[in-house]
Amino acid sequence: MRFPFQSKTALRSLAALAVASLAGLGIVGCSGSNQGSAGSATSGTINWWGWTPTNTNEANDFIAAFNKEYPDIKVNYKLVGISDYQATMRPALASDNGPDVFDLSPGAYVQQFGSYAEDLSSAAQGALGSDWKSKISSIAVDGLSSNNKLTAMPVGSTYAGSLWYNADLFKKYNLQPPKTLDEWKKVCQTFASNGVGCFAQGAAQEGFDQDTLQAISNSVEPGYWTKASKGDAKWDSPQIAQTLTIWKDLFGSGIMQKGALGAQQYPDINNAFLTGKYAMVMMGSWYTQYATQNAMTQALGSAGVAGAKPFPILPMQFPDVAGKGNTSEMFGDADYGLAVASKSKNRAAAETFVKWMAANPKGQQVVADRLDTTSVLKGVSPDFTTIKFVDPAQQSGPVNDYLKNASSVNEHRFALLNSDIENAFLAAAQSVVGGSATPQAAAATLQQAADAAKAQNK
Amino acid sequence: MTLSTQERLASAAGSPSRPRGGGRLQASGLPWILPALVLGVGLIYYCIGYTGYISTLNWDGASPEPLSVGTKNYSNIFGDPVFWKAITHTVLFFVVTFVVQTALGVVFAVIMHSHIKLAVLYKVIIFVPVVLAPAIMAPVFRQIFAANGQFNWVLDHLGLGFLAQPWIGQESTSLPVIMAITIWQWTGLTFVLYYAAMSQIDQSLIEAARIDGAGNLRVLWSIIWPNLRGTTVSLGILSAIGALKTFDIPWLVTIAGPNNSTQFLGTYIYQMTIQLAHVGYGAALSIILLIVALVMAIILQIVARERTGRR
Repeated sequence: MRFPFQSKTALRSLAALAVASLAGLGIVGCSGSNQGSAGSATSGTINWWGWTPTNTNEANDFIAAFNKEYPDIKVNYKLVGISDYQATMRPALASDNGPDVFDLSPGAYVQQFGSYAEDLSSAAQGALGSDWKSKISSIAVDGLSSNNKLTAMPVGSTYAGSLWYNADLFKKYNLQPPKTLDEWKKVCQTFASNGVGCFAQGAAQEGFDQDTLQAISNSVEPGYWTKASKGDAKWDSPQIAQTLTIWKDLFGSGIMQKGALGAQQYPDINNAFLTGKYAMVMMGSWYTQYATQNAMTQALGSAGVAGAKPFPILPMQFPDVAGKGNTSEMFGDADYGLAVASKSKNRAAAETFVKWMAANPKGQQVVADRLDTTSVLKGVSPDFTTIKFVDPAQQSGPVNDYLKNASSVNEHRFALLNSDIENAFLAAAQSVVGGSATPQAAAATLQQAADAAKAQNK
Repeated sequence: MTLSTQERLASAAGSPSRPRGGGRLQASGLPWILPALVLGVGLIYYCIGYTGYISTLNWDGASPEPLSVGTKNYSNIFGDPVFWKAITHTVLFFVVTFVVQTALGVVFAVIMHSHIKLAVLYKVIIFVPVVLAPAIMAPVFRQIFAANGQFNWVLDHLGLGFLAQPWIGQESTSLPVIMAITIWQWTGLTFVLYYAAMSQIDQSLIEAARIDGAGNLRVLWSIIWPNLRGTTVSLGILSAIGALKTFDIPWLVTIAGPNNSTQFLGTYIYQMTIQLAHVGYGAALSIILLIVALVMAIILQIVARERTGRR
């Protein structure tokens, strides 16, 4: 028997082939940076990857409405879980097989993935005119811009700093939404004495902890949080120490549910609230959708409650927990924007889709009517004649007022902070509650994180 | 062509009866090992080398211009309290899970060798957790150990309500919960290996011990346990590797919290690399993990050889 590569010549040939193959692979790999043609603006297939809409039916509704105007552009939506988004997107965007359109949110995502996105300033200008910035919610544009580059066109904005409550539970026990810390404690005592959970939060996840801390801080001194986020004030200040002290008090005074540090906002707390186990929850404008009959019914099904009757939810301002007469105002950012991948071979079609979603009144109306995110194009608002609330008489007024208030918000939620500082918020919040750090010591760690981030950016 | 048995053996062992001709052997052998060589060197060792290179960078994983920082990532790691927490948790986790799993595995194996009724059913029940994916079980355990979960409910109904805790919501109990879940999941494997090892013990040894008046515990301690040494060492190595690789349960059940109380090297590498985009720092942590794993494997091998030598 003879082996096919016994001779040295054959072996050398094989080695040369292997080297050539590797070199070829390298060349193919390097060729990924070649953008090539942008393709047609009115036809083609584009792949949209995002963590939101979390409901793929919602995304498909957007696409169906888009296809009425652009039937020759096929859009495939791929839902990537928020917890896997960073891990999935980094290699995908670096490769030639990534998405044509992808979701971006202000802050860390813009910093991490903005370099893979086209600058959409000229697209925005083309769609809305030279004064395009004045036609879109400014808070949404700021967060998605980096170094004068519009990394993504905002589709919706989101606002936090408010609570939502179960109106049926409050009515059952003849309670009013609390406006101060003392009232909040009394409301919770009443619920507890009746075996009902009062307020629940997934304190294991930093984003929602940050919302509550910012809301408390706005009660301590309105605007201080934003100043600190911009670097115009210190995190290791008495104001932030007081914020953390009040945060700890929420846990010790029976307001926050037991075991909150081990709970996640999604799915734990969302399911617990929707199944009526708790009366109040720290959620933002994205929760508006659950004021509607359809979304609430679907959500109850997802929470594992078969045949449950939808109940009305209502928004309420965060109580004046510092006792200084400051009811916390909301804060917000672009919920998400759509970016066009620099490596996309269908950039023109991708841009058509993004512009339709973000800057076309029809696209924005579809977005607004879902109530999942707040539309960013000025003049577009949800059509409440077609949206069915669970209890229209009770919900219509407060929800309308809530959305009107949200549209005037000018304080950022995440856009001014990087992921290191956000991570420091989680550590500070948990260590204060766990007792391993005093509020002052925890506030000092926030300043250290901010200083380190500043040094990193120099 | 025919070869005698002797010639075949000599050929297989590289006997001088066949010209050695090093070059000729390499020429004929290289193509056969080339796929493994390319995979091993090209994929694994190249990746290790590349990770080592990245560990000298300050890089977010996307920027085209990473900043070279030399060994700064390593010096930062040694001054990072979260890293030391992760190391402490790993050591504690290994010791507790290994000792408890070993004890339970041996006890279950002995019981199953005692000709009890429904032994097959018990074996299945003990082994089932091994084949269940952690991703499936994690939400179940999150529910069981929640403040209003089933574990506290059981305690309440047993009259032990004063012991009820928010088990995964406080630093003092979150790590023990992670250990308990791991023990629940892997005791089945320990049991199976001990059960098989016990089947290999010469029955005449046990019978002789019993004739000499040894009781059950004496037989277990003086006859059975020493004969399981090889299995125990193997399980020790597997547990040590498992402890270093721990990621899924602490991440899915507690997100490595609260306040890093269930932080492990794997979860910290993921947090640093993926969530915080400190890819250089995460790579340095990975290299340290690799070194720790190598050192531990060498130590365990030496210990195993020494013990084998003494026997």
